[in-house]
Amino acid sequence: MELFLQQVFNGIMFGSTYAIVALGLTLVMGILNIPNFAHGHLYMLGGYLLFFFAITLGLGYWAGLVMAVIAMAVVGMIMERIVYRPLNEQPHINAFIAAVGSLLFLESFAMVVWGAQGLRVENPYPQMIDFMGVTMSVQRLLVIIGAIVLILGLHFFMKKTIAGATIEAVAQNREGAMLTGINVNRVSSMTFAISAATAAVAASLISPIFMLSPAMGAILGMKAFIIVILGGMGSIPGAIVGGYLLGLIEALGGGYISADYKDVFAFGALILILAIKPTGLFGKGEV
Amino acid sequence: MLKLRNVHTDIGGMQIIHNVSMEISQGEFVALLGSNGAGKTTLFRTIAGVLKPNSGTIEFNGVEIHRMPVHKIVGLGLVLCPQGRQLFPQLSVEKNLLMGAYPMRKDKMRMQKNLDRVYSLFPILKERSNQQAGTFSGGEQQMLAIARALMSDPQMLLLDEPSLGLAPLIVKQMADTISEINKELDTTIFLSEQNANMALNITDRGYVLENGACVLSGESSQLQDDESVRKAYIGA
Repeated sequence: MELFLQQVFNGIMFGSTYAIVALGLTLVMGILNIPNFAHGHLYMLGGYLLFFFAITLGLGYWAGLVMAVIAMAVVGMIMERIVYRPLNEQPHINAFIAAVGSLLFLESFAMVVWGAQGLRVENPYPQMIDFMGVTMSVQRLLVIIGAIVLILGLHFFMKKTIAGATIEAVAQNREGAMLTGINVNRVSSMTFAISAATAAVAASLISPIFMLSPAMGAILGMKAFIIVILGGMGSIPGAIVGGYLLGLIEALGGGYISADYKDVFAFGALILILAIKPTGLFGKGEV
Repeated sequence: MLKLRNVHTDIGGMQIIHNVSMEISQGEFVALLGSNGAGKTTLFRTIAGVLKPNSGTIEFNGVEIHRMPVHKIVGLGLVLCPQGRQLFPQLSVEKNLLMGAYPMRKDKMRMQKNLDRVYSLFPILKERSNQQAGTFSGGEQQMLAIARALMSDPQMLLLDEPSLGLAPLIVKQMADTISEINKELDTTIFLSEQNANMALNITDRGYVLENGACVLSGESSQLQDDESVRKAYIGA
């Protein structure tokens, strides 16, 4: 029972990261109609920017987190402007190639600036709490709480504000949105800013627990794809549920069978779910 | 109010609109007739700024709009209610309408006033304000599309084939509502239709488009009696 609870806790912690990253990916996918393959690399860069602001500049963890999030929002806007917007009217394959190009650029950039070896952000909250036989570090709890706050905040923004509603409107009908007077380019820019900023939040929360490395973006980006497909393309609840589900599958499979196989469980679940429901858990199919 | 001078529009290298010039004044109710493929939708999309003309000029209230992005043209009070409706299928009726009022999003009072106005024009939308737009029937979606276009209080409305795919009874209701918008709200309306009979019954005058060129224009009653129009579009 204690092993089970411990693994559920770990699963929710990983799932929190996955859910946030997948959420950012799905938002941009709705707007662009293509996946931003470089999304995992934005997450990676967010982690390094936290290191830069918090450790290199010595601002401390929380100020570093805020700075990293702001800086990443700007990076997201720049990416939209110079990589994707010029390709708007072009065939989708061009944007695909541009996405692969930008992920290679980001990974090499991190390698050149910070080196290929892992970097460690010192854990600001190393204290341990023991609850019903489950050991949890305060930082791990913080990951879970941070994700919940972020998801609720984003939900409120999307459902209750006009700016948030424009994101949904553009995703559902780009031309319809233009004809109601929405500046579609501005909405794209804002969506990229939110997407990159949320990736930076996820990276900042988790980087005191795991080492930073230039390659960490590729793995997480791949998993975010699994989640987005699993949850149904472009579906926000799908990204959240899918994120937690993947975290739990990995943690329970890893805990009870073998940690070496945790990626096998993740991809196995994807194949299984898509075989049963090809549109994903929350997919609406073609409208 | 709206002035087109020698407008040409290409799509994918093919010239679709040839040398169209027209003028519409404040308060008028004008029809654009033509068969399928005559270029009505392309002309409307060019006026609304979705497509850019290759040459020629378009002026709205004295401002040149043919190089402006769509959202700026909407801001000037010229709104296209497009063919195929282009609604937001997973948003509620009310959210679709509120998106229509986007240009005046900072003026909550006016937004509410416009919402009440379109609800009194289309009571069914009020009854179903929480329903997802995508679940509506064709006629209801068309009403919602017109209502959404009215939400920004446009000076001029371009209606692209609102009767397309609707049952005859619904077409009649739609025609009455459109006339009401022109008379009661004093909105200038440019209505594109294949259903020439319906369009000429309610409009003041009309233009006939053939293969992308304007071949005929005049008072609606004259066009109704015109031999070539009767043959080609009314079938009598």
